[in-house]
Amino acid sequence: MAGQSVSAKSSALAEPMAVTIGRHAFLLLFVAISIWPVLDVIAISLRPGDKLRTTELEFIPADWTFESYRQLLFEQPFLRWMFNSMVVSAVVTATGVALASIGGYAFSRFRFVGRGQMMVAILTTQMFPATMLLLPLYLMIAWLGLINTFLGLGVFYVSTALPFCVWQMKGFYDTIPSSLEEAARIDGCSRWQAFTKVVLPLAAPGLVVTALFSFMSAWSEYLVAAQVLQDTEMFTLPLGLKSFQSSLSTQWGLYAAASILVSVPVVIVFLVLSKYLVGGLTVGGVKE
Amino acid sequence: MAPTNGRRTWLAAVTLAVTTALGCGPTQSDRVVTLWHQMRPGDRAVLEDRLADYEQATGVEVRAVYKETEELRSGLESAVLVGYGPDIVYGPSDPVAVYQEIGALQDLTPWLGAERDAFDPKALVDLPAFDDPGKQQLVFVGDRFGNHLALIYNRNLIEAPPKTTDELIELAKANTIDADGDGRPEQYGLVWNYTEPFFVMPFVVGYGAWIFEDAGPGEQPRPTLDTPELVAALEFVAGLRSKHKVLPLSADYEAAEALFKAGKAAMLINGDWSWQAYFEESRRQQKAGEEDAIDAAVAPLPVVSSTGVPMGGMVAPKGYSLSVAARGERADLAADVIRYLTGEETQQVYFDRQKVYPSRLALRDEAAIDADATLRASVEQINTSRLMPTATAMRATWDAMRPPYQQLMAGNLDAAEAARQMQSGAEQKIATLTTSIEPDATAPLVTVLGLAAFVGVVAWQWRGIGALTKDLKNNRLAYLLAGPAVLLIFLTVLFPLVFNVVLSFSNMSLQNFRDWQIVGLHNYQSLFAGDGAARFWGVFFKTIFWTVVNVALHVAIGVALAVTLNGPVRGKSFYRVALIIPWAVPAYITALTWRGMFDAEFGSVNQVLGLFGVSPINWLSDPTNAFAACIITNVWLGFPFMMLIALGGLQGIPQDLYEAARIDRATRWQQFTNITAPMLKPVMLPAITLGAVWTFNNLNVVWLVSNGGEPADQTHILVSYVYKAVFNLYQYGYGAALSMVIFGMLLLFSVLFLNRTKAVEGV
Repeated sequence: MAGQSVSAKSSALAEPMAVTIGRHAFLLLFVAISIWPVLDVIAISLRPGDKLRTTELEFIPADWTFESYRQLLFEQPFLRWMFNSMVVSAVVTATGVALASIGGYAFSRFRFVGRGQMMVAILTTQMFPATMLLLPLYLMIAWLGLINTFLGLGVFYVSTALPFCVWQMKGFYDTIPSSLEEAARIDGCSRWQAFTKVVLPLAAPGLVVTALFSFMSAWSEYLVAAQVLQDTEMFTLPLGLKSFQSSLSTQWGLYAAASILVSVPVVIVFLVLSKYLVGGLTVGGVKE
Repeated sequence: MAPTNGRRTWLAAVTLAVTTALGCGPTQSDRVVTLWHQMRPGDRAVLEDRLADYEQATGVEVRAVYKETEELRSGLESAVLVGYGPDIVYGPSDPVAVYQEIGALQDLTPWLGAERDAFDPKALVDLPAFDDPGKQQLVFVGDRFGNHLALIYNRNLIEAPPKTTDELIELAKANTIDADGDGRPEQYGLVWNYTEPFFVMPFVVGYGAWIFEDAGPGEQPRPTLDTPELVAALEFVAGLRSKHKVLPLSADYEAAEALFKAGKAAMLINGDWSWQAYFEESRRQQKAGEEDAIDAAVAPLPVVSSTGVPMGGMVAPKGYSLSVAARGERADLAADVIRYLTGEETQQVYFDRQKVYPSRLALRDEAAIDADATLRASVEQINTSRLMPTATAMRATWDAMRPPYQQLMAGNLDAAEAARQMQSGAEQKIATLTTSIEPDATAPLVTVLGLAAFVGVVAWQWRGIGALTKDLKNNRLAYLLAGPAVLLIFLTVLFPLVFNVVLSFSNMSLQNFRDWQIVGLHNYQSLFAGDGAARFWGVFFKTIFWTVVNVALHVAIGVALAVTLNGPVRGKSFYRVALIIPWAVPAYITALTWRGMFDAEFGSVNQVLGLFGVSPINWLSDPTNAFAACIITNVWLGFPFMMLIALGGLQGIPQDLYEAARIDRATRWQQFTNITAPMLKPVMLPAITLGAVWTFNNLNVVWLVSNGGEPADQTHILVSYVYKAVFNLYQYGYGAALSMVIFGMLLLFSVLFLNRTKAVEGV
């Protein structure tokens, strides 16, 4: 690791000024594009009187107020929804990552009957237009007696996040040379030990990607939640946000403020995890 | 198997399998009543207070949840199909006929029949019984009247509201001001929502036209949209924009509202639900001492000068219906809740707090109404408005009117042609609604072949299954690792999948909701042959284009950013967080924000483009531009995710490969194509495959940015096309067939793509 950062530094010095400027210009351009609409959302959240649009171009409204945030935090069960979402998302992330990390490993390293078919088959579950699933989904949730349970929600979330997670983990495992495991086996590791001690740490970026994906798919899911959860106390954030909506009279101030607050945990989770994504562990020094 | 028994056998088999497998079934507590409503925020607060009192007094818990129209309907459908769903629904009266048509409602007469006379008769809806058309049932009890449009005007610009349309034009002209003379006025005389035909109805009524011919009881009304009166109404409306030039070039609901609140529109046509917000905004602006503060007031819409008829519009009661999910004791409880919520005391509270016009005659206190100028104007407007029909054809008619209306308001269609298209569209859609498809020759074939195919596949794969069972023993670890994920994935999707396969061969629709049956290949035939076919292929190729462009840009931008960020740059953590933001903020609001940014006159996209000398682009009212706007929004939403994966993938590339390349004097581009790209491939492939699948099926962005396919249904991709077919015309069988086709195409694509890229292969 130390050697890595030294080499990064020396190559930074070695890079021509023009390239450095180019990098920053490119990144800054996309930073601007990324935050441009979000500045608008912030403006909506600060604007009094539920105005989605204005005819002025302004980043901070002249008559700005924190009223929406105050209402959200003190008059709406927003913190309750946030708590519900955190619990659901955390459990879904943990389960999803655990199942995907072992499932992906099986698909990457083992040859077994039905392997190819299973891999394609799990993808097919993503191919159906979600709107057509509304009715059968509700029928099924009702039959199973899962209405108003977080268990019902969790099972659905894990199962919708898994196809991507399994495939993604398989992809990451594929980039790790099997020679590493073989070396570990020769050193006396069992197959399981080789997996947990050698492969899994090297697949950390993959685990981070799957974790973030699982987290987001639970954090922002609306369709299933609307079918399962029927009690305001049990709402997750997307349902809570949706309750500020209504045909032609949405409470835009609350909606925008909630959207901003909802993004904060995502950014924090990302910040915590992303150190494994940039300048993290690298498979240096392994020659095939 | 007889085709008539087909559906029951299928459904029963699946139900049985699912319920026995999990050993449980639906249960609903007897002391909890579920109420799904469509109330606006201010009304919701009253509802909550009233229900709290009720719960305290009776010990019955009422779970009130706001639901969108489609969700509310799918709850009622479930109540019909499995007896589980909301006990009470609350909303406007117009979809009630649909609910009754599928047999989702109960007769309220036993509970409320005695009080009938206390209500305005227009607030009660009686419809023929689902199982006995000769019998009338009370299926809807209104607690209010409203949803009507009126004129909101800014008193600081207009002293007295116009009494006639001639005065309206005069006032509007005087208030359309182009101070800097660039041909784009800064202030308009009049504005309203150009996207929903509901907003043009006052002109229609004022010109003596109506959308339906009165039909006998139990008959579907015949649309009358291509009449001289209606053409005259549309001509007048188009003239306001093109001849008198008092309207902005484009305006949806939000834009119209924003213009009025900013004092940039002197008059606005909008519904009773919105008025309080304009008064509040006026008070706020005045209190803040704003120079050009608005002063909103409500007046009845004027009389059409050429006909002498007031611009009436439509009015509808809102109220409660009892669903078939409320059985036994809970039916009594739920009916009691309805009686309480439509009772005098509750309506009085709504009147006092929300100024709603009550449905109980005893509460229509003229003195109280006279004392309030807004209420007076509102009641006057109600009295000239016509009752919104509660026919199943209503939604089909709106649907048929929408595209020509939008085209008319965009100046692309003249009034006569718009009226003609409205009429033929409405006739066609109503015909679709009312025809019931009978099983054809392929029906028994499909049933038999379905079973034969199943048996065939099992027989064909028998050896495979044998090999699998043997391999289960030898390769136990592999199955143990992959098993949990695979089983969990299939646990939840198997039933919806089978349900849709069966449905796609069926005639499930409004006509045949309960008694649907397998009708054969009809749905598939009508996809690829007949009127819809040309449309289908057009939308199909647009969807391919949409998917390719989106995914290509997602990957290109995502990888480029990841590679740039992975090099030696300072401020990495700042960039990382800033670039992930489009993914972190809920897409619903950012998509709508983008829609606002694409506004031709006030949107920031055109203003930024203007800095580079680009002349303003009419983003949302031109089909090509609107589609481009959808793509831009979706690219913005999707690139951070690809960047994230690429960043992850880059960590796995050994640095010494680059060092070796540098020693060989490889250029940066050569390093990228020879090292980075191939090493990223295994990590990017799953994301690209699934990204394509998700993008293909991404309903939200198209729906939100183009507001449901605007202009004139020309920005659809296949899923939004399915959505319209299913939810506006209730063609469940057809929608399922379309979904199966989408499914098939995506499956084909994935298999080909994965084979070509060898993504399934492992190490």
